[in-house]
Amino acid sequence: MVLSTIRFMALGWVGDHFIKPTFHFHYFGFEWVSVLPPFWMYAIHVMIIITAFFVVIGLYFRASAILLFLLFTYTELIDVTYYLNHYYFITLVLFLLIFTPAHRHFSVDAKRNPVLATDHTPRLWLFIFQLLLAIVYTYAGFAKINYAWLIEALPLKIWLPANDTLPLMGKIFTWEITPYVFSWFGMLYDCTIVWWLMNSRTRPWAYATVIVFHILTGLLFNIGVFPWVMIVATLIFFSEQWHITLLTKLKRWLRYTDPVIVNAPNRVSRPVLHFFAIFFVFQLLFPWRYILYPSNLYWSEEGYRFSWRVMLMEKAGTATFYVKDPSTNKEGMVVNSEFLNSHQEKQMATQPDMILQFAHYLQSYYENQGIKNPSIRAEVYVTLNAQPSQLLIDPNINLAVIKDNWKTKTWILPISNE
Amino acid sequence: MSRLKAFFLSLILIISSSTIWLTSCSESEISKPDFDRTTMLQNMADNLIKPAYSDLMNSVLALQTATTNFTENTTSTTLKEAQLAWEASYLDFQYTNAYNFGPAGPEGLQKAFIEEVAIFPVNADKIENAISTGTYSLTDANRDTRGFLAVEYLLFNVNEGSSSVVAKFESASRKKYLNDLMENLRSRTEAISTAWNTGFSATFIANNGTNVGSSTSALYNEFLKSFEALKNFKLGLPLGKISGQTHTEPTKVEAYYSGKSIEMLKAHMQALENIWYGRSKSGIDGIGFEEYLQNVTGGEALISATKMQLENISLAMDAVSTDSPLSVQIQNAPNTLDALFTELQKNTRYFKSDMSSLLGIAITFSDADGD
Repeated sequence: MVLSTIRFMALGWVGDHFIKPTFHFHYFGFEWVSVLPPFWMYAIHVMIIITAFFVVIGLYFRASAILLFLLFTYTELIDVTYYLNHYYFITLVLFLLIFTPAHRHFSVDAKRNPVLATDHTPRLWLFIFQLLLAIVYTYAGFAKINYAWLIEALPLKIWLPANDTLPLMGKIFTWEITPYVFSWFGMLYDCTIVWWLMNSRTRPWAYATVIVFHILTGLLFNIGVFPWVMIVATLIFFSEQWHITLLTKLKRWLRYTDPVIVNAPNRVSRPVLHFFAIFFVFQLLFPWRYILYPSNLYWSEEGYRFSWRVMLMEKAGTATFYVKDPSTNKEGMVVNSEFLNSHQEKQMATQPDMILQFAHYLQSYYENQGIKNPSIRAEVYVTLNAQPSQLLIDPNINLAVIKDNWKTKTWILPISNE
Repeated sequence: MSRLKAFFLSLILIISSSTIWLTSCSESEISKPDFDRTTMLQNMADNLIKPAYSDLMNSVLALQTATTNFTENTTSTTLKEAQLAWEASYLDFQYTNAYNFGPAGPEGLQKAFIEEVAIFPVNADKIENAISTGTYSLTDANRDTRGFLAVEYLLFNVNEGSSSVVAKFESASRKKYLNDLMENLRSRTEAISTAWNTGFSATFIANNGTNVGSSTSALYNEFLKSFEALKNFKLGLPLGKISGQTHTEPTKVEAYYSGKSIEMLKAHMQALENIWYGRSKSGIDGIGFEEYLQNVTGGEALISATKMQLENISLAMDAVSTDSPLSVQIQNAPNTLDALFTELQKNTRYFKSDMSSLLGIAITFSDADGD
């Protein structure tokens, strides 16, 4: 199998990555997170573009890949309200990319140092990316096998009608049947697409489905570059011959000639193998951690993130925080927009761990304002999948004294179905 | 593998055939009654927004006539006429309070209409300074020196009464400042009113999607923002309800100098209720958010909850007397006002997260609130 497949994947992905910085401008401008000064934030985004380009052309590959991974992960870590599954996916891909010998074919490194050049690579380097994609799709599919998604067609029943002005298709979204069809198709697609892609006979059809599916979801929902990432990433399932043909064309176009190959690829060392084994065991198990929490996953979101649960629910909340000065017993209501932007407020209002974080922020803010040991409580009303909103957490509990941890949050109230 | 494939193939076959069967049923059986956002936008534009700006335009012109008259013939009679005209025009303004998008939205250095003409509290020192030095700009960042509430500051005096106002207007520079403010207010109002009555109405109705930038999204977001401003800044802040406040701040009410805060608050809430119902000022009920909600999943429950809460707000609002100004009642009878604040707060989730979630509209405001 030609190692360059990996490179192509990186190439396609990075091509999309270049448009990302425009989305990333959201990252700065909040006073309440410790971000670097704007200049450095810009610098980091420029560095991401540069290192990504180096990774693509294979110049100082290893160093560039490490730096790219670190920088990108840093931008992700700044603000959890910006968590998106596909950013997490990209982070993981970047991490895996560090270990690969993707610079040993069709790259500047191989040109500069012909000892590196080779035209074969152990199958493992492809396999890890295929496995990661398989996990992403299949787990996203498993997550859709639930009562609300399949039987009630929620949340698509809420989302689709809002798209009724889309040209040509708009009308379809107002039909009652449409959300059901989309829900079932989406579940089957996610669960099985990897199998169809692996089989050479079904592959062309499967890939056509990939394109249609992701472009459609891209049109319907505001999900940024995700469709393009997946459309390009799934090319890794294509045959060796397909990639060789494509690369040959590309090489001709770029006037790239392969150096004389003197070395066979290195075998993958044992420690690296063990490391990947641990990595994937973690990836396979981590998404199931929600089972350990007694609460309703969609309601409490304990164990929700990093589990490939995408577009699964319509959830919105109104969170009102109250700060009390214990010395005077006077309680005041927080105007959230004085501290958060609308995106942050929206994300925070439905997720208990973020509610707690914001409460702790308010605590330190008002301590600095001269209130000793302020107590913070929050009245949070959340609506899940169009049900009437109800209290998410205990509105009387003092959040200032609660510490966040992995244990189940007993201050989350159970959801009651009416 | 082949068995697995057979399984999936048959599964797909079952799904697709049942789909075809279901879709072949008559469309009317399976599709909901269509809600046409265009009709809602049309009703909003024709029966709520355009009349609101036309009314405002007329009353601002009347106010300008009255203030010009007052500056030319400065007596307590002409002052009284100007004061009444001010009250009428600012009441009309409350009916445009929620429409800060399109021609009333921010553009370049100019902020939204409400921020340009209705900032409160105004800064008395800055206004007096502008009058005495005669150097001021009506386009700079000193928005707390102009607009309706700066005109109010000039025309009313809470403590010393009308005679002191008339006496102060002996000053030519004070007259000039008032006339300049009024000219500024007239031209800003006219620009928006004209835009709505010429091309913008059609643009507004045609932009009938739900994404960011669509008319429904703009209308909804400004509606919500207006409601939150009413609750937090017209009532919560002077009542001392906001975190970090240690006591009430009665002078921070809207329309402090005229003492007409409660009338304005009531008109503002009425205007917001009208938007939700799709109701005109004269009470004719058309297509609004209420009808829109009737056509979405979970809408019925939210409609009844919202209606009940609007009723509670209305009762709490009626309990507030108009006999004495809000700033006085904050000190004398805070309980009635606390109750109103609580009822308004209870409604927030219905307007905010529940409504946006059901309608699939994104909450896009926030950055303009803090400053």
